[in-house]
Amino acid sequence: MSPTARRSGLLVRWAPAGAAAAVLVLALCGGWLTDVDPAQTLTRPWSPPSGEHPLGADALGRDVLARTLHGGRELALVAGAAALIATSCGAVIGLWAGWSRSRVGSAVAAGADLLLALPLLLVALVIAVAVPVPWPVIVATVLGGAPLTLRVVADATRNARHTGYVEAALSRGEPTLTVLLREVVPAHRGLLSADLGIRAVLALQLATALAVLGHGPAPPSSDWAVMLRENLTGMPLNPAAVLAPAFALTVLALVIAFAARQAQR
Amino acid sequence: MNRSGLRVRSLSVRSTTGRTIVHNFGLSVPRGAIVALLGPSGAGKTTALLAALGTLPAGLRLESGSIEWDGQPRPARSAAWRRSHVGYVAQDARGSLHPAWPVARIVGELGGDVSAALHVVGLDPQRVRQLRPHQLSGGQAQRVALARAIAADPDLLVLDEPTSALDPGTLELVADLVRERARSGRMATLLVTHDEALAGRLADAVVRVGEIPVAPEPGPQNRPRPDSAVAALTVTNLRLGHPISPPLLNDAQLELQPGEFVAVRGVSGSGKSTLLRALAGLHLPWAGTAWTAGEVLPWPVRERADPGRIALVAQDPAASLNPARRAGDALLRPLGTLRGLDRHAARAEARELLAAVGLRAEEVLERRPGQLSGGQRQRVSLARALAGRPQILLADEVTASLDAVTAERILDLLGDLREGRHGTGTRPAILAVTHSPAVLDRADRVLHLADGTLIRTEKGAV
Repeated sequence: MSPTARRSGLLVRWAPAGAAAAVLVLALCGGWLTDVDPAQTLTRPWSPPSGEHPLGADALGRDVLARTLHGGRELALVAGAAALIATSCGAVIGLWAGWSRSRVGSAVAAGADLLLALPLLLVALVIAVAVPVPWPVIVATVLGGAPLTLRVVADATRNARHTGYVEAALSRGEPTLTVLLREVVPAHRGLLSADLGIRAVLALQLATALAVLGHGPAPPSSDWAVMLRENLTGMPLNPAAVLAPAFALTVLALVIAFAARQAQR
Repeated sequence: MNRSGLRVRSLSVRSTTGRTIVHNFGLSVPRGAIVALLGPSGAGKTTALLAALGTLPAGLRLESGSIEWDGQPRPARSAAWRRSHVGYVAQDARGSLHPAWPVARIVGELGGDVSAALHVVGLDPQRVRQLRPHQLSGGQAQRVALARAIAADPDLLVLDEPTSALDPGTLELVADLVRERARSGRMATLLVTHDEALAGRLADAVVRVGEIPVAPEPGPQNRPRPDSAVAALTVTNLRLGHPISPPLLNDAQLELQPGEFVAVRGVSGSGKSTLLRALAGLHLPWAGTAWTAGEVLPWPVRERADPGRIALVAQDPAASLNPARRAGDALLRPLGTLRGLDRHAARAEARELLAAVGLRAEEVLERRPGQLSGGQRQRVSLARALAGRPQILLADEVTASLDAVTAERILDLLGDLREGRHGTGTRPAILAVTHSPAVLDRADRVLHLADGTLIRTEKGAV
């Protein structure tokens, strides 16, 4: 292969990953790019885009660009944390349920399946009434996501039990925990990271849905989902106030889904 | 109608990282002929084959070459062509069977008479119809894969290492079957193998892939008699089986002397692999007592004081190594846990082990199993078993996926080991499950597993 071809091959391979990383960094640290205070009323409500305010103003005359740049951080952190907790819970219980051939293991798996029968958004709304932000998103993601992770991981673990590498580790006397962590988990790392990505998208959707239904972070938070809710009525006057956070949410969800897909390879 | 069968010209395959896997490969398999594709393990036999059939895995690319079927270029979108013309028996037969389907559905997948096909490959249709792949032994799985391939009466039958899990009786049956079908003049047969003897016996023509190194001189045949002092392993009254089925072994006895090489043979499904897994502590027998070096050996591996004493080399090369870990890790771990070597010493020892099984350390240490050939993986898993300096080595068809030269080298290595010529200070006993005449030939004793007992037999008898 010629050097040029190899360079372009590397570019093809890494460019999407680089773009995805850039979007994530922008969502987390976008607030640092602007000096404008996202909580300050600066102009007339629903002002259309102008030189001073490139994306116009929102319902309270605050700068939409500054609010959009600030608005991803909390959302992304909450979604990431929720996904991490959900996947970890599911993976740990799944490893145990798949490995142990006891009845308790099958009972736990069956119980997890029952959880899946609950309507998730309804559960999330009930939790939202009971506990403060951001816990509803995290708890609902764990309830709705961990059982799925558990199922997949338990199945993969059951199959891994009879592979040569697990049997080799067992026959040299490795403790169960070491076998699980050194052999089974690495063998399924693609599966686990893909699962993490799917749970993050779920958390993002839940956070958005709750915020739009009025259970999001309190004002003056510039959370993208909160922006959607606040600015929907001003759509005819300044469409950018709704389109900017909607676009940002979509791109973030797509990037996470894409990263999950790559991790599965 | 043109009857020229499969014709491949100047085929080259590269990996996306730029490594050439197959270079300028050519092959012609006319209808009615049996052609063998012969080469040492790792030479790219399977890759050349997959390229010809149009099923290269991700990461490999067809660089150049023309592929024709009956004088017409093979369609670029080859799935429909394969369905209507090709019967393929994969190297990892069990892996190619749908895990959730019963045998009857698997064999009937592409159409044809299921019972007749099962009968032809020597399986009792009534007994196996409803079994699922995990209930089959390695040899039975291979026969089911073969039955599926021939059930649909293909124009091109492709056998990728068909003999790696077959006992000699079944092998003879397969050979007859292939010859008879070929003689009808309609079916072209492509046999991919490392087994020179099989290729010579069966094929009308042989195509070689890769360099074939010169076979080493056979080692000295004078072996010391096994010590009579303390047996390396004694097993009495062994009853062994799977739940809800008749026992595989009933009241079996077994004794291994240090440095002794004992082969176990028996038809597919007779319980040979289960016997080894029980001895390795991975499958609890129903009854029986075992001693090593005069002490009682608990059956579960966790209760054994010295788990490094017995090592198992399993049969399935596809799943023998962790897909996520480099081959080097498979060796460094037992060197650390069982032998207590530090990282540096373990690395040096790992290189020696790889050299001992005929692999170049720099080609293997940093690679993941997906980048190694079946034969290379098998040798790494053998090196892993040797890493703990076992007193007893349980080998399940270790040479089945290796070419004759490599197999010979592995057998020489096992011979050196049991004679204590490897500077390890131990002389492990070897218990080898095998169908291979080369392995049987080297054994001090041959045990035949049939009807629930282990009986001593002559080497030549089938």
